[in-house]
Amino acid sequence: MHDGSGRIAVQNLTKQFGAVTAVQNLSFTVEPGSVTGFLGPNGAGKTTTLRMLLGLVTPTAGTATINGRPHHQLGNPARVVGAVLENEGFHPKRTARNHLRVYAAAIGVPDQRVDEMLGLVGLSPAADRKAGGFSLGMRQRLALATALLGDPQVLVLDEPSNGLDPEGIAWLRSFLRSFAQQGRTVLVSSHLLSEVEQTIDQVVIVSAGMTRYYGPLDQLRASQRSRVLVQPADANGLVTALQEAGLHQVEPTQDGRVAVSGATVQQIGDIAAKAGIAVYGMQEEKADLEQLFFQLTSPQYGAGATAYPPQQQPYQQQQEWNAPPPGYQQPGQPPQQPYQQTPPPGFQQQPGQQPGQQPGQQQGWGGQQ
Amino acid sequence: MGNLIKAEIRKTLSTKSWWGLMIPAVLFAFLFALGWGAITNDLNDFLGSSDAEELAGLLGVQLGELPVGLLALAHGINIGTMFPVIFGVFALAGEYSKKTITTTFLTAPNRMSALSAKMFTYIGWGVVYGIIIVAFASLATVLTVDSAGLPTAGQWLGVLGAGILATTLATLFGIGVGAVWNSVTGATITLTIWMLVVENVLVFVSFGWFGITWLGGVLPNGTLNGIVGAIGAEAFGAAGVSVPGALDEDLQWLLQYTAGAPGAFSWWAAALIFLAWTMLFFIGGWAANQRRDIT
Repeated sequence: MHDGSGRIAVQNLTKQFGAVTAVQNLSFTVEPGSVTGFLGPNGAGKTTTLRMLLGLVTPTAGTATINGRPHHQLGNPARVVGAVLENEGFHPKRTARNHLRVYAAAIGVPDQRVDEMLGLVGLSPAADRKAGGFSLGMRQRLALATALLGDPQVLVLDEPSNGLDPEGIAWLRSFLRSFAQQGRTVLVSSHLLSEVEQTIDQVVIVSAGMTRYYGPLDQLRASQRSRVLVQPADANGLVTALQEAGLHQVEPTQDGRVAVSGATVQQIGDIAAKAGIAVYGMQEEKADLEQLFFQLTSPQYGAGATAYPPQQQPYQQQQEWNAPPPGYQQPGQPPQQPYQQTPPPGFQQQPGQQPGQQPGQQQGWGGQQ
Repeated sequence: MGNLIKAEIRKTLSTKSWWGLMIPAVLFAFLFALGWGAITNDLNDFLGSSDAEELAGLLGVQLGELPVGLLALAHGINIGTMFPVIFGVFALAGEYSKKTITTTFLTAPNRMSALSAKMFTYIGWGVVYGIIIVAFASLATVLTVDSAGLPTAGQWLGVLGAGILATTLATLFGIGVGAVWNSVTGATITLTIWMLVVENVLVFVSFGWFGITWLGGVLPNGTLNGIVGAIGAEAFGAAGVSVPGALDEDLQWLLQYTAGAPGAFSWWAAALIFLAWTMLFFIGGWAANQRRDIT
């Protein structure tokens, strides 16, 4: 029997479909009590990995276990792990309630649980409608209701916010957090970091079937660099003053401002005051986490794929902040490119400031900025 | 296992295919039995009077008293048995085409138990199909066949048992083919064409050109039909029992053909050989499903 730990462990997992290697030597663990994001661009091997974890796809090599056991040794598996998978099937002619009644019987939970789950995901009014007529969002809700039937300890979701409206996304986000706060395990995949950024504590980033980063999101966040745009009376004078003060990542911008990296607003203000240079304004700019994600996953689209060992600072790879990898089309929303107007050469620098943003401060689970 | 069987029953009852296929099964069984019932009253003419007399003499019965109703029953049941085959195809291949197989496997302890539950459930469905098909074929037989040509109660019970056995095995055969091929449309169309056309042509041609009488006794459709058909053929001494001064081989085949079981050795031999076909596909499909990636 399984150990009841709620831990997901993926070890040296490899899957080849014929000549195509979908997943290559992937390793990570997911601990209970947290929401872990499983991130990577489309085609990175996320879905295949999750399906191996759920026993739907047989690994070529390596293991994927929940509670220390492969899926087929979990006993009554839906009591241990619930899954919301992409393109999950519902018989188009079967009603939502009947769909749930089928699987409630299979799991061995009372039929009363069916109506509870319909209520939980907000599908009670549509309970007797056929699933074939459901919108994508309703199908996602029904899939979640199915996953929760067995009151599982572990929840695995593959791109769950697809098709959900902002309200549904916000609801899902708070649901997943409270689910994890009960000491249960949540693994949620997405191809958009911004979509899950506010929900997740841990993150596994994969690209081209390999792990690029895995560890706490805060650690990834801490590697964000910010810079300060200063509008001084005398730009050249300020540059000189800053350099004399030991700040070398200083760059005049085309609009007459000075971009300073690796220093706080206070430091810069003090230096400017000492130098007797008037400062008319300072603006702190922060790199988006999404940019980090691009850089971590971009090797999939170019040469030089390098696997990042866990928790390595991910910044030394690319020269420019603002260039999304060629061919990468970000669905949904335009990529955030805060530094696009004035590309600062050599912007990757030493760790400087603490990130201004803490998890949970922003509302909304995707799409909303 | 009880839970999974309950789930499978709910699955079948919450969609239309069980009665959607039951209707044509009943209709075809009834109409075929009706048609054959009307014909078999004239069996005397049909077989040619001298042949029929020879046969009747060998069996020691009066010509008008041959249980020709068995022929009507067999043809009705045999055509009706096509539909449990298709119903069986839906069982697993249908789950693949609708992608519900994912949730089925996620909520079962393992694939083996999911498929076992399906097997037990569909055995039940096969029995239900069998009883209803035999009932309607019997109704049509009673309506058309003269009382002298009706089978005895014992023969009728035999037909009921054989009919249930046939539809049950037919359902499992359908599951097996669907499990191997994994496509509802492909498996249904191919099986229908094979069972209604291809195999009949093969059996006919091999008999007509090469004088091969046994081919229908070993192929899937022939053996499936033979389970019920051979009961009729045996009643006429054309299969199973050793008839004193055995029948002319061609006449025997013709009688078997008339009974809907050309080449059938006996009902139990037909059942065993069809069981082998069923196991071949069922085990093949089973093995394929143990390893198949659900993507």
